[in-house]
Amino acid sequence: MRLFSSATRLLPAALALLFVVAIFHIGFGAKAIALGDIWQAIWAFDDRNFDHVVIRQMRLPRLLAAMTVGASLSVAGALMQGVTRNPLADPGLLGLLSGASFGVVVGAAVLGIDSDSLIPVFAVLGALAAALLVAAISFFAPGANSRAMLLLAGAAVSLFLAANVSALNLLNEEGFASFRVWLSGAITTDAAKMLPWCLPWCVIGLAVALFSARQVTALSMGHKTATGLGVDTKKLSLRLLFCVVSLTAASVALVGPLGFVGLVVPHATRLVVGSDYRHVIPFSALFGAIFLLIVDLVARTVLSPVEISTGVVTSLLGAPLFLVLIRRVL
Amino acid sequence: MNDFSFRFFDGRISGRLHRYAPVLAVLFTILLLTLLATSAAMGSFEISLPGLWAALTSPASGQTETTVLWELRLPRFIAACLVGAMLGLSGALLQGVTRNPLADPSLVGVSQGASLAVVALIILFPTTSLFWRPLCAFGGAILASLLIQWISAGRSSAQSLRFILVGIGLAALISSVTTAALTYGQINLAMEALSWLAGSVHTASWKVCQVLIIGFLVLSPLLVWVASPLAVLRFGPEISSALGLNVRRARFTVITLSVALAALAVSVAGPIGFVGLLAPQLVHRLIPSRPGTHLFLTAFVGALIVALADLVGRTAAAPIQLPAGLVSSIIGAPIFAILLLRRVRTSLS
Repeated sequence: MRLFSSATRLLPAALALLFVVAIFHIGFGAKAIALGDIWQAIWAFDDRNFDHVVIRQMRLPRLLAAMTVGASLSVAGALMQGVTRNPLADPGLLGLLSGASFGVVVGAAVLGIDSDSLIPVFAVLGALAAALLVAAISFFAPGANSRAMLLLAGAAVSLFLAANVSALNLLNEEGFASFRVWLSGAITTDAAKMLPWCLPWCVIGLAVALFSARQVTALSMGHKTATGLGVDTKKLSLRLLFCVVSLTAASVALVGPLGFVGLVVPHATRLVVGSDYRHVIPFSALFGAIFLLIVDLVARTVLSPVEISTGVVTSLLGAPLFLVLIRRVL
Repeated sequence: MNDFSFRFFDGRISGRLHRYAPVLAVLFTILLLTLLATSAAMGSFEISLPGLWAALTSPASGQTETTVLWELRLPRFIAACLVGAMLGLSGALLQGVTRNPLADPSLVGVSQGASLAVVALIILFPTTSLFWRPLCAFGGAILASLLIQWISAGRSSAQSLRFILVGIGLAALISSVTTAALTYGQINLAMEALSWLAGSVHTASWKVCQVLIIGFLVLSPLLVWVASPLAVLRFGPEISSALGLNVRRARFTVITLSVALAALAVSVAGPIGFVGLLAPQLVHRLIPSRPGTHLFLTAFVGALIVALADLVGRTAAAPIQLPAGLVSSIIGAPIFAILLLRRVRTSLS
């Protein structure tokens, strides 16, 4: 079901949609802000105007964080699905989100690292360890690398790390208060201070992903086909592993673990643009940003003044899709 | 032969047992008693062994030892044992009926269904009595189990892995609904629900034990009754039918019983992970036995696991108490991975 014969024709439409959603995302909230004020806050900032301050210091960082994370997690999911040739692969289901959370909690709560710049590094180390562990378990298990085994290994690793994170949080209580909201995957205004340290990881990851898109398409047809097409599969897999890890880890460091984004968005994207990764990767990034903006908007406004964690909403939307996919692929 | 047969009362009671089964039962009893003594003695208020004995045999009201033992540690230990036994049994039944060594009520969403129902009860009707929680939990758990079966039904290839994966997906879904419900509820009620959700027996009192014991007494005759269909179900649905078993009814009974056991345990202690996975598998590794013996020993091992997890949780990092559910997950998840690695080729394909 390809809605557009040429994916490039879709690009302006997607960008326009992203722009509209972004305007809504800035405008809505505890206090609705008019379109004109948003425009002025960006181009003619006046620090005596309260609305302008709200937009500059709260809404814009939140917007940027949501867009970055949406794009990063979606591209990470798309890459994982391409490399493992497993439509059920997702940073959360394969344990990378819990790995990154574990890394951050160990770094901040146990080692007492205070500097924001090192938080993403710990997230990267945690996610990398989790990814290698899951790969090792599913590789050495009988019926190696089957779709189901990869997911079961991911579940084992995530449950283990999640329990460890909870235990570490209980053990130092003053840290717990600050981690509790973050661990449920909430896009908050706190993201502003982490943004400069996380953005580079995301940008590099996205760039490498776009750069490798052509080879991912070859890899998604199987290792033998890819080798036949002249792709150095080992090198590529290694590069993509670091790409996925840095995208996931930076997202977690920024807003906490958001489950199922990497599953939902690439599948939706494939429905629209087909299975060529040269299209899947850029459009996953775009649709991921749009998706997360909408989810964040819903999470913020639907039960207002109470905010639901964004991670809860993504899981509510993603888990049913996971169940449908299991029925279809396994 | 490793079996021996016994006949009592002119064959009115007879059976065959693995040679080591009675030995293991005695061993587990000794371990349980040792654990009881250790749990009763250790903690923020240390009690010496003679003091323990004195408080146990001649309780004197007003004495600190007596209060700590009778009001805090004893009900907590008994609740932990009963919760563990029930979770272990629930897992054993689920593994038997799905013929899947990875099935565990907390892994496949049954416990999460029960949790959601109890959280809803705590938030919507905070004043209801403790006795309503098990019923409510049972309702939620049975809905979750029906959903898993409905979604995972279908093609039989890889069905057993599919069952587990559907369960994991469903568990994630139900957990996120629970979290959403927590943000919606009042903060003090949410905090109560949250502490319960971590899976702990720290609130255990004699009243809680009473709920558990009554529930266990009601359910245990069913366990005896279910052992023989379970023995037949091991051979798969085709052979079971050929042997004259009504497979649908047997499956339905066993699953309902398993769900009821898990729901009762969860309604008291919250979801405690991996006990239902570990206990039956551990017994399985120790001795190959028929379902009757297997269930009996699994109850012991389940009780040992939760009681030990609770003891470790409250003493390892004192004065902070780690919930038993966390300790059991930290121990259980690696063993789950090991089970994946040395699977069990015969029962999963």
